[in-house]
Amino acid sequence: MKTTILVILLSGLLCLSAAAETVQVTTRENAVRSDCRFFAPVKLKVSLGDQLTVKGRKGDWYLVSVEDVSGCIHKSAVEARRFASAGRGAASGGTSADEVSLAGKGFNPQVEAGYRNSGTNLNYAAVDEISRISVSEKSLESFVQQGGLIQP
Amino acid sequence: MRSAPLVKIALLMIVCLLTTGFSFTDLITPERINAVTSTIKSVGKAARPLSDDEEYYVGRAVAARLTATYPLYRNSRLTDYLNLIGQAIALHTEKPTTFGGYHFALLDSPEINAFACPGGIILITRGMLASVKSEDELAAVLAHEIGHIIHRDGIAAIRSSRWTEALLVIGSNAAREFGPKDTAKLVSLFEGSIDDVFKTLVVNGYGRDQEKSADSAALGYLAAAGYDPQGLTGYLTRLEQAGKGSKGGILTTHPGTDERLENVRQSTVAAVDISSLPSRTRRFAEMIR
Repeated sequence: MKTTILVILLSGLLCLSAAAETVQVTTRENAVRSDCRFFAPVKLKVSLGDQLTVKGRKGDWYLVSVEDVSGCIHKSAVEARRFASAGRGAASGGTSADEVSLAGKGFNPQVEAGYRNSGTNLNYAAVDEISRISVSEKSLESFVQQGGLIQP
Repeated sequence: MRSAPLVKIALLMIVCLLTTGFSFTDLITPERINAVTSTIKSVGKAARPLSDDEEYYVGRAVAARLTATYPLYRNSRLTDYLNLIGQAIALHTEKPTTFGGYHFALLDSPEINAFACPGGIILITRGMLASVKSEDELAAVLAHEIGHIIHRDGIAAIRSSRWTEALLVIGSNAAREFGPKDTAKLVSLFEGSIDDVFKTLVVNGYGRDQEKSADSAALGYLAAAGYDPQGLTGYLTRLEQAGKGSKGGILTTHPGTDERLENVRQSTVAAVDISSLPSRTRRFAEMIR
């Protein structure tokens, strides 16, 4: 009887690991940080579609691990999904399988390319220029500090 | 006696299935579900907002149309300043990052105006920059526009019939790449969607409720970031005074400034330490001179 219970518990643990919660990066690029706050050192850069294993939650942050790196990522950069060996869809509150299958299939680079050739007066060169504008985390951090603003 | 191993196996299977989130609905295959509910889903999804990446492409197209009308004002010092303020606020919102990120740029126009393109591109005119008198007022303008982006007000301008049509095309296509016919249809729907957003941003403006919500959100973002929420009151007061003498630009697309001002004045906002206000005002003056 003892053996039976032990086997059942071990099997349960194994199955739990197979059902570990996973989140998927939904922004073009993001970062896993050493602490659960913006401006914390970046441990790993992640990009759209990367899957991270959730170890826990801390406020608005997920504690995640990926490629032997553990750290924090903000909840707005990922969508929660639960992958199980039974092949189920998203967990409650997550994205449905249908939405996942539709993602990227509507207005996408192919459609943008068609729109560019539509003859409408467009200035995509300016948009690409705007999209390249960025400020470094270091300069943003000192800007916040010097202006007496609140650290995020 | 022989049934003991079978019981163990059965128990193991049940434990395993339950811990992996099994439910008896899993007995129904996805294919079966799809076959039965495809029509229901098509109708339900008609109201589905665009995904973040689709919103990004809409925003890019709207910005491409705006910058074809208003050229970019290329001043890296001012543009960096704008982006530092905008990012400092965005990090305190419920959506600190978007699919393509927040980007702030200046347009070379004396008109007083600001545009929130879906997905995170925010454009303000030189005229707008000249109209604000402090960093906190400029922060208020950007916080308001960030509010429109987070509330997806631009996306809400797209007629729902376009969703329905787009979903019919998307739903009928299993591949990620579309054929020429479907692409042409989607491009046409995309073009119509951009027209809807563009007209709202440039001609009609958002609804009063959307403006009120964006103002309310802006007050919260400003306080959370450490900016003085009174910056929004100051800016709206200035806008109201400007509205008495001229027309065009933001005064056309943002009517009812007096009503907005009244709403903002009546809003309860958390107290903010304003001891650093003078240092921000100084750096604003150095930047704008």
